[in-house]
Amino acid sequence: MSAQDFTPPQGDKMGVNWIGLYTIVRRDVQRMLRVPIQVFIAPWSSALLMIFVFGYVLGGTMRTIGGHKYIEFVMPGVLMMNIITAAFLQSSSAIYFSRFIRFVEEMLVAPLSYLEMVVGSLSTVVLRATFTGIGILIIGLCFGATTIESWPMFIFWIVAVSIIFGLAGILIGLWSKSFEQLNMPVVFFLTPLSMLGGSFFTMKMLPDWLHWILWANPFFYFINGIRGAMIGVDEAPQGLSIALTLLMIAGLGGLVWRLFSRGYGLRE
Amino acid sequence: MSTPALKVTNLRKVYRKGTVAVDDLSLTVPQGEFFGFLGPNGAGKSTTIHCITGIANPTGGTIEIFGLDAVKNYREARRLVGLCPQEFNVDPFAKPADIVDWAGGYFGMNRAQRKSRVDYLMERFELTPHLKKTFRELSGGLKRRVVLARALVHDPKLIILDEPTAGVDVELRRVLWNYLTEINQDGRTILLTSHYLEEVERLCRQIAIVNKGKVVREGTKSEMAATPGSLERAYLVATGAEPDHVAGQ
Repeated sequence: MSAQDFTPPQGDKMGVNWIGLYTIVRRDVQRMLRVPIQVFIAPWSSALLMIFVFGYVLGGTMRTIGGHKYIEFVMPGVLMMNIITAAFLQSSSAIYFSRFIRFVEEMLVAPLSYLEMVVGSLSTVVLRATFTGIGILIIGLCFGATTIESWPMFIFWIVAVSIIFGLAGILIGLWSKSFEQLNMPVVFFLTPLSMLGGSFFTMKMLPDWLHWILWANPFFYFINGIRGAMIGVDEAPQGLSIALTLLMIAGLGGLVWRLFSRGYGLRE
Repeated sequence: MSTPALKVTNLRKVYRKGTVAVDDLSLTVPQGEFFGFLGPNGAGKSTTIHCITGIANPTGGTIEIFGLDAVKNYREARRLVGLCPQEFNVDPFAKPADIVDWAGGYFGMNRAQRKSRVDYLMERFELTPHLKKTFRELSGGLKRRVVLARALVHDPKLIILDEPTAGVDVELRRVLWNYLTEINQDGRTILLTSHYLEEVERLCRQIAIVNKGKVVREGTKSEMAATPGSLERAYLVATGAEPDHVAGQ
């Protein structure tokens, strides 16, 4: 036999597989760029229409809110709605498609930790959400609707909300057994909750007995947070919004971690 | 005695719906061996391979790859294994070189290592003229070549091939046989499952036959061929199939 005896070094624990992690991002970005119309043009054109119709046309007839034109008030909501959708669709479709075609097995057989897989997936989510957001900010600039009061908080909200919906997308991607199930959260949760989360109206525009619709809606805190960062108008305490957001990241992150380590939806 | 390339002890895999796919299966593949893993459809071959490579969670038993526990030290163990699966588990819209390059990346190979290895494998498996096509545009044989190249990109010490020549033409089969023989002579350990007994007879020195989730016979190729007379008869007897039609031929 020509084999030379091989003994792997014992206790040779791998550190972070940075190249593996970067490869996950590189692969997902390449996949994303195959469908630029779906990934970027669709949210940008939808944002353009919303800003034009709600902000420019209807908003022109409305009074100012907190000293800001209605178009400036609407802009953060439109931005957040699109970031939420982009983040959710990125991770849910990436995970579901890789399970459906089974090329997720490429990663399962590789020396990648669960954390590297999740972080790799979320990095692409943040990239997609950020580019979507930059495009919408540029559209807003064209309408004179883009103002940023606090860049650090603005970046915090973009990244934090991307992570929350990236994690939610991973959960749905792991759970779904059909494309129908994959799209259900967008139809039944994401769209209604973001529309009812104060994107286009303030709490004062609602009768008192309906205020609970905003307080009970987590999307309200995200929209409130980014609106505070952009135009300095907020209806809920920023501290509360930040605390709830971090809590959601911790909760969803823990759940995703647990499911990955059990191989739920991934391993046979 | 050197550490076995693969040691499976009392492996058991029960799926969620209660199907027992592998039941108390034990197997040892010495280093440098060309090992045939045979059995009828549904015998538990692919499930065993999935447990070894991390695609399935074992229900019980242990798996060691070059002495490393494949569950506890899964990252260190997986660095040493390359899997060519039975089914095409590939992004259908990706191009061959990207598919192989990504796999190299997952295994931690840097850009220069990947470039050199991908170029070599594309050339070796005659994929160079097809680099601009997506995976879904390739013929069945070319798809099989891409999946093989992907399994070999990180130059693994243990190569697991789950029916690698199923549905491929004679030309590729010969290219593959020559390549596998070459890398086995170079010291790589190979575990091969196949329904083509002539392929197993040509390539493998050690053989295990599995049926209903258990190893029902194990030995060298010559032992198998000697009793009861040919590998085919040994296989049919071990798996409980009626060997009369073979005897009558």
